[in-house]
Amino acid sequence: MIIDPISIALITLGGVLIGLGVHFIPVGGAPAAMAQATGVGTGTVQLAAGAGLTGLISAGFMYNFLATAPGGFGTSDFILVLASGAVGAMIMITVTMFIGQLVYVYCVGVPPVSAKVDKDPITGDRQDIYVSQGTEGHGVPTVSFVSGTIGGLFGGVGGSMVYVQLMQIGNAPADPAIVALAGIFATGVFYVNAVLASYNIGGTIEGFHDPKFKRVPKAIISCLIASLLCAIIAVPIMGGVS
Amino acid sequence: MIDPITGLGLVALMGALATIAGAAEDLESDVGSQSNPNSQVQLAAQMDFPHRIFNKAISGEPPAYGLWCATGATVASVLLAQNMSVIFAIAIGSLAGAILLGLFSVTAHMGRTASQKRFKQPVYMDMVIGHVPSIMAHGFIAVFCIVSFSYIMDHMLGHPFPLPLLAFLWGVTAGAIGSSTGDVHYGAEREFQNQPFGSGLNAAQSGNIVRKAESGLRNGMDNVWACAKFGGPVTGLALGWTVFFDNWRSTVFSGMNAVIAGLIIVLILILANRLVEVKARKAYGPYKDEEGGAEPA
Repeated sequence: MIIDPISIALITLGGVLIGLGVHFIPVGGAPAAMAQATGVGTGTVQLAAGAGLTGLISAGFMYNFLATAPGGFGTSDFILVLASGAVGAMIMITVTMFIGQLVYVYCVGVPPVSAKVDKDPITGDRQDIYVSQGTEGHGVPTVSFVSGTIGGLFGGVGGSMVYVQLMQIGNAPADPAIVALAGIFATGVFYVNAVLASYNIGGTIEGFHDPKFKRVPKAIISCLIASLLCAIIAVPIMGGVS
Repeated sequence: MIDPITGLGLVALMGALATIAGAAEDLESDVGSQSNPNSQVQLAAQMDFPHRIFNKAISGEPPAYGLWCATGATVASVLLAQNMSVIFAIAIGSLAGAILLGLFSVTAHMGRTASQKRFKQPVYMDMVIGHVPSIMAHGFIAVFCIVSFSYIMDHMLGHPFPLPLLAFLWGVTAGAIGSSTGDVHYGAEREFQNQPFGSGLNAAQSGNIVRKAESGLRNGMDNVWACAKFGGPVTGLALGWTVFFDNWRSTVFSGMNAVIAGLIIVLILILANRLVEVKARKAYGPYKDEEGGAEPA
C-alpha cells in the first residue's frame, strides 16, 4: 500500500496556511459588535470560514475550467487556481471589513482605532487618544485592514490547495461525486484549522501588530499535526492509495 | 459556454438576489436577536434588567445559515430531479429551511429564557407567537435568494459544486457577512441608544440594554424596524458586492487577468477604507488631549 507523500505534504501545508491566515484576520468577537474592541464584530472562525469558503468557490470554478480544458492540468494552472482562491477570499474579507467600517463610522459614530499600538505602523496615525472611554478600541484601522487582507490571502490559498490536491487524487474533474467529496473535505480541513487557530487567539486579535500574533508558532505546530491527520484520512478516501 | 452578455446579466441577477438575501439575513438576526449582540440580551436579565427582547442564539450565524441553505437546496435538488419547475422547487426547499429555522427559534428562545428563571426573566408566550412567523419569513426570503443564486451559478454558469454544497458555502458566507456588518448596528447602536452617540460602549454598561420602545416596551419587532434603515441594507450591499465582484471578474476576464482584476478591486477597497478612516478621525476627533490626559473641551 503506497500513499503519495507529496499529496499528504501539500494538504498539510494547506492546513497550516489556513491556521496562519486566521491569525491575520482582525476579529473582536462579541465586544467588537458593541464597539468595545478593535476588529470585525464576529468570531474568528466565522469570518475566516466565510472568507476561505468564498475563496474555495472561486477556486472550484477555476479548477473546473482548467482541468476540463484540453492539455491537462499543469503547474501554472495549479498556481492560477490558488491565486483565484486567494483573490476570492480577499474580495470577501475586504468588502466585509469595509462595510463593517461604514457601520462603525456612520452608524455607531466611532473612529477606527487600535488599542494595542500607539501609532498605526502603516499610516503613522496616533491611536491611543482616539480610543473612547471604557473600550479596547473600535473599528478597523488601516493596519488591521491590511492584515485582514493578508489573512484572506493565506486562507484562500490554503483552502484552494487542499481542494486542488484532493481533486488531483480523485482524478475525475467532471465527476460530481468526486467534486462534492473534495469540496466537503476542503471545508472540513478549513474548519479544523480555523478552530485550532481560534483557540490560540483566545477571542480577539487586531492583526499582525497585536502581541497575540507572537503565538503563531504554536498554532503552526498544532495545525501541522491536525492537518497531517486529516490528510492521512482524506487521501485514501479520495482513492489515493495504490 | 454561455455568451459574455448573458453571463454578465446572470451575474447582475445573482448580485441583486444576494443583496436581498444579505438584507433579509441580517434583519432575521435582528428580529430574533442572534449572534454576538445577543450576548447583551442574555446578560441583561442577569444584570437585573428583565426585558421583552426575543432571545435566540441557535449558533453562530454562519453555521446556522449553512444549515438552512443546505436543507433548502437539498430539498430543491430532490424536487428538481423529479422534474418540478425551478421556482417551485426552490420555494418548497426554502420553506423547509424556514420551518427548520422556526423550530430551532422556538426551542432556543424557550430554553434560554426558561434557564433564566432565577433572574426573574419571564417567558412571554405572545412574543413567541408574534416573533417566530416574522423570523421564518425573513429566513425564507434569505434562503430562497441564496439557493436561487446558487442555482444560477450551478446550472447556468457551470460551477462544478453540487447545488446543496454551493448553497451551504454561500450560506456560511452570508452568515459571516451578516454577523460582521449589520449586527454591529443592532449591537453597538440600537441596543444601547441610552448611551451617548459617538463612542464605543463602555464595558461598565454591559447588559444595560434599552428596554422601552418608542411606544410601550421594546421587542424584536422594534429592533428590526430600526435596523432596516441601515444595518440590513448595508449587509445586503456587502453580500451583493461579494457575489457580484467575485463572479464579475471571472466572467469578464479569464486566467491571470481575472486574478489581477480581483486584486485591483481589493486595492480600491483598501484605499476607500483609508478615506473613511481619515474622515472619521476628523469628524469625531480625539477623546483625550495630545498628551493623553484629560478629554478636550
